[in-house]
This record gives sequence, C-alpha cells and structure tokens, in this order.
Amino acid sequence: MRAWLTGRFSFRGADAEPVQAIPAPALLWLIASFGLLLIPQWDRLPWWLIAACVVLSAWRWLAQRGRVKLPGRLLRGGVMFALIGVYVATVQGRFTVDTAASFFVLAVGLKWLETRSNRDFYVLFFIQVYLAAVNFLFKQEIAWALLTFVAIGCLMVGLQVLNAPDVPESQSAGWKRLGGMVLKTVPVVILLFVFFPRMAPLWSVPLVSGQARSGISDTMRPGDISNLAQSSERAFRVTFGDQPPPYPERYWRGLILDYLDGETWRQREADGFRRPARVNNDGGVGPLQSREYDILMEPTDQRWAFSLENSVAVSDNVQATPERLFRFNRPADSPVRYRLEQRSDEVGASDVLNAADERRYLQLPATGNPRARALAQHLAGDLAPVELVGELLRRFRQEAYFYTLRPPAMPEDGIDALLFDEKRGFCAHYAGAATFVFRAAGIPARVVVGYQGGDAGAGGEYLIVRQYDAHAWVEVWLEGRGWVRVDPTAAIAPSRIESGLREAVAEEGSFLENDLTSPQRYGDIAILQWASLQMDRINYQWQRWVVGYQGQSQMDLMSRLPGGWGLRDFGYATAGVIGAALLIAGLVSAVSARRGVRRDAFGRVVDSWHRLCAKTGVPVRSGETPLALAERLSEAHPEVAATARVFAHAVNSHYYTTLAPEGSVYDVRRLSRLLNRMKRQLRRSRKSTFRNPEND
Amino acid sequence: MSISLKARWRRWINRRIPRSDSQVLSQKNIFILPTAAGVVFGFLLLIMLITAINYQNSLIYLLTFLLGALFVGAMHQTHRNLSGLTVDVVRAGEGQAGEDISFTLRVTAGKDAGLGLDLSVEDSSVAGVHVPSSESREVVVPVPSAYRGYLRPDRIRIETRFPFGLLKAWTWLRPVSSGVAFPRPIPAPDTNSTVMDGQELLASSPVSGQDTADLRPWREGDMSQRVMWKRFARSGQMIVADWQGEQGSPHWLDFNAFPGVDAETRLSYLAWMVLDRVQKNAKFGLALPGDAIEPDAGALHGERCLRALATWGEQPPRDADGQPFGTRQLQDHPVVGGSV
Repeated sequence: MRAWLTGRFSFRGADAEPVQAIPAPALLWLIASFGLLLIPQWDRLPWWLIAACVVLSAWRWLAQRGRVKLPGRLLRGGVMFALIGVYVATVQGRFTVDTAASFFVLAVGLKWLETRSNRDFYVLFFIQVYLAAVNFLFKQEIAWALLTFVAIGCLMVGLQVLNAPDVPESQSAGWKRLGGMVLKTVPVVILLFVFFPRMAPLWSVPLVSGQARSGISDTMRPGDISNLAQSSERAFRVTFGDQPPPYPERYWRGLILDYLDGETWRQREADGFRRPARVNNDGGVGPLQSREYDILMEPTDQRWAFSLENSVAVSDNVQATPERLFRFNRPADSPVRYRLEQRSDEVGASDVLNAADERRYLQLPATGNPRARALAQHLAGDLAPVELVGELLRRFRQEAYFYTLRPPAMPEDGIDALLFDEKRGFCAHYAGAATFVFRAAGIPARVVVGYQGGDAGAGGEYLIVRQYDAHAWVEVWLEGRGWVRVDPTAAIAPSRIESGLREAVAEEGSFLENDLTSPQRYGDIAILQWASLQMDRINYQWQRWVVGYQGQSQMDLMSRLPGGWGLRDFGYATAGVIGAALLIAGLVSAVSARRGVRRDAFGRVVDSWHRLCAKTGVPVRSGETPLALAERLSEAHPEVAATARVFAHAVNSHYYTTLAPEGSVYDVRRLSRLLNRMKRQLRRSRKSTFRNPEND
Repeated sequence: MSISLKARWRRWINRRIPRSDSQVLSQKNIFILPTAAGVVFGFLLLIMLITAINYQNSLIYLLTFLLGALFVGAMHQTHRNLSGLTVDVVRAGEGQAGEDISFTLRVTAGKDAGLGLDLSVEDSSVAGVHVPSSESREVVVPVPSAYRGYLRPDRIRIETRFPFGLLKAWTWLRPVSSGVAFPRPIPAPDTNSTVMDGQELLASSPVSGQDTADLRPWREGDMSQRVMWKRFARSGQMIVADWQGEQGSPHWLDFNAFPGVDAETRLSYLAWMVLDRVQKNAKFGLALPGDAIEPDAGALHGERCLRALATWGEQPPRDADGQPFGTRQLQDHPVVGGSV
C-alpha cells in the first residue's frame, strides 16, 4: 500500500503539466465512445489489446487532469514498438479481417498518447467513425447496432464540446441539439436507405475470419456433437408459409458423412475449392407460398444450407446436390437467408443405385468392431433389408440402451463397445453404429448430420433452431423405396425426437449444464423465457428487414410500385431524395431567415403598435421617432395619450440605452401590457362614441 | 492572373457587403464552406459507402447515410448560428501605432443563439464568443496598427465552426468608423517653442550665465547656436546649453520646434511630450501647422492633442475599398504607373 502511494507520488512529477489544448469533457466523450466501440469487439480482440487500450486511454485522461505527463518521443516510440511487437507475435503472419480489425484498434490506442491538438482530436474522430463501420461487419444484432449508434452520438457531442467548450450546459445542450438534428434528418436517411441502389460489390473482399464458428462440423467422432449440445446459440430461424411440420418431422438435413475412416465419419468428397468471395444474401422475396419456408441462417463459414426432406430450391442462392442437400456458392460468412419449398412427393428419387454409389455407401474399414460385423452377418442371413432395419431398431428399443450427454469413453472398437458393453451414448454414436451395422449387412447406408427440432419463437411466427438441436441419423437405401430415414435415437429416446433435448435428458439434468447464462437453460422461468423470445423476435425482424435489406429485397419492394424500377431508377430516386432534402432545407432556412432577422419579440410588439396607429387614423411616417408618433396619436385620441407616451419612452429606452440582457424579457412584457391598455382605452372610447349618437 | 482574380474577388465581396457600422447577417452576406476536417469527413463517408457496397452491409449504409445527413444538417446549423445576428461597431478604439487597437463590437443574437463565434482582423482574433438567443454581448477585437493616422480595418471577419467543426460559416463586417492610431512617442529633445506667448515673454527676462543653463549632450535636432563650441574645441564633446531664458513658451508644444527633423518624427516627439506633460499634469497647448489647440491640462486635453497629432495631414478614410492597417500606405507608396 505504502509502496503504491510513494510510487504514485513519484509518478506525479513536478513537470507534469495538464495537457489542456483539448477541453476535458470533449476528451471524455471521445474516450467514452472508444470504450463503447470496443465492447462489440470484445470476443475477437486479444485480451492484451483491450488491456492496452484501457491503459493508454486512461493515461491520456490522467495527463489531461495533470496527474501524469504524456510520454516524450522516446517513451512513445518504446510503447509503440512494444505493442506492435506483441501484435506481430500474436498474429504470426495470418491475415484475416480479425487481425486487420485488431491492428486498427491498436492504432487508435496508440494515438491516444499523441492527442494534443484539435487536429489529433479529429483524427481520432475519423478513425472511430470507421471503427463503428468495422463493428457492423461483425455484429449486426439490434443491441450492438444501438450501442454503436450511441457511440457515434458520443463522438458528435464531443465535437460540439470541442468547438464551444465554455458554453454553459454544453453537454446536455449538445445531446439535445444532436437529437433534434437526427430527428430532422431521419426521413431523408430512411428514404436514402430504401432508395439508394444496392449495387453489386465493386471488388470482391472476403470476410475471412480466423475465428472458429460454433456449429456442426464435417467430421464426426464419438463425443463431437455432445459438445454442441451444451450451446444454446442460434443455428437458424425458419418461417413457414403455413403451419410448420410437427416436431418429430423437423429433420433439418445439413450434410452427409459417407466415409468411415477408422472411428471417424467424414465426407468422401469435401466441398471443393472455396473461392474467397461473399455469400449471396439474396434469399428471395415476396410472401411465402403455402409449402415454402424461409431460413435465416447464422454464419457458419461453410457452404452447406439446412433443409427439410424433399425440398427444392426457391431462391437463387442455394443449389441442390445429388444427395438432395443444398449448398451456397460461397461459405456463409455472414447471416444468410434462403428459401426452399417442401414437396409432398419424393424429390429426385431414383429406382437404382449405380455401382459407384453402391460401393461408396457400403464402404467400411478393413478391420475393427468384429462383434458388430458378426451381428450384421447374423441378421443379414435371416432377414430381408427392410426386416433387418426393423430388427435393429427393435433391438435398440427393447434392450437397455440409454441416451445420455455424458457417455463413457470408448477408445477401442467404439461401435462394439457401444452396442454390446456400455449401451450408453448420444445420437451420433448410435447413428454411426447403426450405419456400420447396415453396411456390414450389405445395405447401403449413410450418416446424415444436421438439426432435429426447433422451438416456436415469440408469437409462434417462426421456429428457432439452436445448436443443442444438432442431431445425427441414418439413411438407408431400400430397393424400390430409395433412401429412407432411420433414426436410432427415436427408438432409444423418443422424447428427444418428439419434444427435444431438454425432455430427453431431463432426468440426467445435463441440459446446458455448462451454460449458466443461457435463458434456454431456465426454461421453467416463464418471464425469462418470454423476454428472451421477444428479444429474439425483434432481432429476427431487424435481421430480415434492415440488415438483410439487399438488392433483391429492394427490387421486390419496388416491383410493387407502378412501373418496373431498375437500378438506374434507384439512382434517380436517390438523387431526387438528396436534391429535395437540400431544397427543403434551403427553403426552410430562407423563410426562417426572412422572418427572424429583426422580428424579435420586442420588434413584433412595436409593429403591432404601428398597425394599431394606422388603424386609428395615424399612419406612421417614415423616419418618425416613437415619441413623435405618440404625440400625434395623443392628438388624435387624447384618451390614450398617457399610455402612448409611456410606451414610446419604453421603446426609446430599449433601443437607445444599453440594458442588462435579462431586462429585455421584462421590457417585452411591459410593452405588450401597455399596448393592450391602449387597445382597451381605444375600444372603450369608440363604444362611448357609438353610444352617444344613440342617446341623442 | 491570381492577383487580378483576388482583386476581382475582393471587389465582388465589397459590392456584396457594403461598408456599414451595423450589419444584420443573412443569406446575402454569409459564406459557408467545409473546413479541412469537413473535406476529410466527406472522403471518409465515401470510403464507408464503398465498404458498405463491397460488404453489402446494410448497417454501414445506414451509418453512412446518417452521418451524411448530419453533415447536411450541420450545414444548416452552422449557417443558422450566424444568420440573424446583428453586429454593430460600438466604439472604434484609439491607441498607439504599432500596437493593437481595440474595436468594441456588439453582437446581438436574434431567434437563434450564436455559439462559438470567432471575430478576427488579420491575424488577431477573439475566439469562443457565445451569444444566447435574443441577448447581446460586447466583444473587444484588437486591430493591429502599423502607422499613425486613421485606422479602419478593411474587414472584420466573424466566423463560426459550431457545432461539429466540419463546416465554417463566415461573414465580414466592413466598418465605416475608424479608430485612431496615435504617433508612437519618441523622447523629444528639449526645444524652444517658436510660438511666443506675449505674457510669458514679459514675465521671464533673459538671464545669462552658466548657472541657469542646463548642460547636456547634443542630440539630434538641437540648434547649432546652442552648442558650446568653445567647450567642443577644448574637449571634443558637443555640449548644449539650455538657456531657460532663451526658450519660447514651454507651455506650447510646437511642431516647428524641431528643425531638420521629418514630420513623422516631429509628431512622435510631440506625442511623447504630450504624454509627458499629461503625466506631470502641466498646462500646455499644441501648435501644428494649420491647427492649434489652446493650452489646457488633463487627460482629455491630452487625448485631444494626441488625436490631432495622429490625424494631422490625414483625411478620414472615405474610400469603399480601404486598405488594411489604415490609410497611410497609399500616401507613402504612391501607385507606380498609375495615371494621376
């Protein structure tokens, strides 16, 4: 404690002068916005960088207060080299958007140490505005967007304080002024947002992220999917044209694992070369037809799209594969929306499996799992394929197999261990084991990975499918029927398929056991659940209508207007909006300028006095002083003489003597009182003159 | 070319803003342009728009449009910050040539407040003037002066960059009234006035003898009759004897008392003497060719004398296109090649 104190005092050198060129409140707003802009980046910035930014901006603030000195050139250079060194060591030559963004943040942090003049303030302002734009690349949820806009507000208030630091209450007046300006400009902003032509990218910039996304992966080892089961992050949201299918039918196929490599299932042909480019986000427009459904998928950095069985593509951005899966042209590096239609009849069903495919779906490693192979041989000897499938499912249902999120480790011959010894596993284990048995029995089979289930969002308008809905099941080829879904999990734990993971592992209590912050964990607290769903709904609409407002949706919106609108028309519309806005602003300012030049409150009262004089037969002569006018008015109407003279004196003393500023309001009130008295006196005298002839 | 352009620009401004001691700021006389920061901001918006297009990011579009609209709103706000203000010259100041002379202006706000105003003449400026709506503030603007004479700044610039500093709106006040720059005082040699005051002459009879003479080294402007040549022959030093009795009236400060000295220096000597007499609270008069101020005492009298010195031989500026630093330049540097 003592050491800290002495350290502090020696730190506070005698020559530590406050750096005063920038007004302190302005600097504070700048630091505040920097802090706010860092929050959305917290999960992609290295921790040391955030710490460095906090220290550097605190250093600048203490220098402002005169507690410490801003570093000299040498120390500054040292700090810069040290931080850049750490940065280079952390990055290790990988260039991704993440590393670029953290370099950007590092640059802002270092700039704090040499922020001395207004010019530096503006440099930081510009960098931070762009930092806000960078934030939008990564975080597009409504809460993050609001936070970023608040940060921009802080910046704009900071600028106002910088430009007029000593105005009383400059902070609150600054927010008020900014709010007024935003309110006035919001219509133009909305029109621009709607009409500005959404062009194709000028050049292709991949949004390559070094960060691992959560989501299913294209390899499946026992235990993999149970990690996902601990995550309540959203995988995708679905809106249906009519009622969603019943819960047990909500099988979202993602990809097919057809190659067993030892213990690991993987794809024989991984997705081909991925050209670095952005995923096409034009997910179709217009109201959904009755069997159509619309999926808004969270970024996966993979090309696969999830679909119900027997679907066909409606939007252009997904393509069907021979396995009846769907793929994007580019990895989904940002939220992407697409549209499919579920057919009632089977799609792409063929009666024969060609020889290459048969070999592919019968592939097994040469050795391993002898007991499972023996079981398959035994079953295949007696039963036809359809009966064999039924028999295996019956075996799963009747024998003591358990569905658990805490399976024991099964390192050697895992399938044998699962089927005959442990009998405890997760969907992936059972799917892998069943596929193994089918293949060993000569039935073409494959593992399908995706999601199963999906809970209704707020208002039941759409389904939310979360990572814990990840699932794996089996498809087998049956002569005459084509590919048929077989889900061993449905046989072992029907509740998993009928009402989801929460019910399936209710006894075990392992549902989201490691994720204490997830609202889904507390499904029994109704208000929490409700709030979480409402939040999700707002975000869903935000994603669909604001974030996802792209070229296609713009075209769609406009196609409902009379006359087909092209990109060029949008250009004209934008120019028109800007022109009209400028014109209106100009007109408003012209009109207000004409009205507001001299016509202050005082002048208005004097004007109405002049009008009163003219009305009563004493028109104002040019160059006449108030006193002279009052005299002439008194001659014409002796009853107002005294009031008129007092009035004229008040006018004179207002215009020709210097008064305290607060006197003016009082003056105006007094003047209008006098004017009203004159009017009353004139009216009374007029009445009496009218009455007099009657009396005669 | 650039000079003629500049001259044309100046003429255009001068036509647009006639000389007046009072000016109501409106669209007619307010100019508005982006500052350097505003230009950079424009480029930044362009870069952000390109980012939005390339990443097809709606929120960046939104941010860009919002900031762009705020920029236009700021244009309006900055303009309104000046528009409706009334600027009056309350007092054109007086002071010594070579120093800053204070002009007092009154800025009165109309319906809208005028915040963050910056009033400047040439290089000297007053920053951070705030006038709340329908109030007024007096601002003292220092105007640099170079020569004695009438001082009328060609333009007083009233500028504001409020609220964001991305745009600047400005106007000029071209005052009619001129201040006065007094001659810079230079310690004068003691001299006689050539003006003889009859009574003074009678009262002081000439006295001879060294007792009553002040001896002092020669200074420029001393008459050769007063140099003690004998002493010079002896010692080589030029010593001057100030014979009290020989002097004209010390109550008269006389332009003609400094033979062989140019007019400006004489005026500087006289200015010094005036200040000296005022300080000693002596009674004195000022005699200038074509002008005379009767003997009197006091600060007001002193100021009157200084004013007379400052404006001796000068005409009050009448031309519409005044020169910076007052009126003397034209006379000191006649236009070369100009047909007279």
